[in-house]
Amino acid sequence: MLKVENLHAGYGSSEVLNGVSLHVKPGQVVALIGANGAGKTTTMRAISGMIRPTSGSVLLDGKAAQGMGAARIARIGLAHAPEGRKVFGPLSVEDNLLLGAFSRLPHFFGFHRKAEEELQRVYELFPRLLERRGQAAGTLSGGEQQMLAIARALMAKPKVILLDEPSMGLAPVIVQEVFNIIRRLKDAGITLLLVEQFAKSALEVADYAYVMEHGQIAVEGTPAELNKNDRVLAAYLG
Amino acid sequence: MNIEIIAQMVVSGALMGLVYALIAYGFQLTYATSKSINFGQGELVMLSAFFSLTLLNIGVPYWLMVPGGLLFGAALGLLVERAGVRLALQQKSEGWILLTIILGLLGFSSAENIWGRDDRPFPTPISSDALHVFGINITPLEISVAIGVFAIMGLVELFKRNTLLGKAFEAVSADRDAAELMGISATRTIMLSYGLSGMVAAMAGILISPITTVGPTMASALILKAFAVAVVAGLDSGFGVVLVGIVLGALESLTSFYIGSGWREAPGLVLLILALAVRPNGVFGKATIRKV
Repeated sequence: MLKVENLHAGYGSSEVLNGVSLHVKPGQVVALIGANGAGKTTTMRAISGMIRPTSGSVLLDGKAAQGMGAARIARIGLAHAPEGRKVFGPLSVEDNLLLGAFSRLPHFFGFHRKAEEELQRVYELFPRLLERRGQAAGTLSGGEQQMLAIARALMAKPKVILLDEPSMGLAPVIVQEVFNIIRRLKDAGITLLLVEQFAKSALEVADYAYVMEHGQIAVEGTPAELNKNDRVLAAYLG
Repeated sequence: MNIEIIAQMVVSGALMGLVYALIAYGFQLTYATSKSINFGQGELVMLSAFFSLTLLNIGVPYWLMVPGGLLFGAALGLLVERAGVRLALQQKSEGWILLTIILGLLGFSSAENIWGRDDRPFPTPISSDALHVFGINITPLEISVAIGVFAIMGLVELFKRNTLLGKAFEAVSADRDAAELMGISATRTIMLSYGLSGMVAAMAGILISPITTVGPTMASALILKAFAVAVVAGLDSGFGVVLVGIVLGALESLTSFYIGSGWREAPGLVLLILALAVRPNGVFGKATIRKV
């Protein structure tokens, strides 16, 4: 579904990614783990077009996506819930959700009716958001904002969701809740690329995982394989 | 001092102030999406007024001229974005300041060449026979200015709140990167904001022309005051501009009546300097909070 090959990218003249390759198959949850500064978030940003890769390829459902702007990549079916959540603070929860489906909906009138079904589904998954649908997104708690960021990505009915550090800055109880959500998304057959600091929890939900070091994939394998890898154990799962 | 004279001054000043507010509102629209404004906005007001006058002269009825003039203003706004602002924003430079000033100068010389330097009257079917309301003289023409200002601002706000494209506009203002991730093109949204801003400027021109006449320099004083209003209220203050516009307009007419007409421009400039020194984000502006 998502195939990344030999991706190079960076900021200005400093290169952060030195040839990253990874593969997310349909219906899979794939985890990308690694230390701070290894290039996990940069990988996500280069895939979704927030930064332009300098070379390499990104195939989304067989279509070449590298070099396109973020808006175009989103329109062909990639939803990126970015690091730091980035909800639209002054807008209501429901407006945030509707904007998540921007490329599928009519731009002037009738968009609400057309989004109704998807809204129901998302509210079922996140009842808290239904309670707060009229509230400005900026007034939600960190955990609620994370739920909103995930829900907003779901609204696009994307082919793949990139989920960057969903547990960042959240209380341990809320982190558990976030991982429960990810598990439910997985059961619903959603294809997911997940970047996480909590490597252990990430490996519990993932079908496959990549470990990044210095802008490259250092190790990859199923969670069971990585759990047996001494180096990975010592560095990330200890 | 006569209370009726003061009231009269305040009302007619406030009506003028609404036009400042309308132009300032146009600044806000583009500032929201792109953190840039058109320094040639006064020329947009003037060119749209000339164009509307031409429409009237070739026999277009007044009520058809209005949408025609607004469309022309929107087109000019798009032109400013495409030919100036976008080039600078793509390079993340502040070059839009100079580029919009240059485009404004270009517009100014074009107007002089096409329509000449003379001020011309702008015919209107709306009466300027004064009505007496609570001892204050007010003309239907002046009332039409107030109605026009609120109508166009109301329309733009309705668009922003009730259409998905309008919400996308707000999303780009709130977080441009995140909006792009939803498939919302920031470039197109910025274009849209310049189109709307141009339309608002044209409305200001159409509303004010019957009172001030139309000429190449008609908007130069107007635009300075609109700047003062935008800065004093804050470029992200929403309807704060209306309040500041009304106050400034009233102050101006009181100043010119009691101190001397030569001092008419003083309150705007003093307010502008005060605001820049004391509250750079504006009275109603949100202070920028930088998160690390």
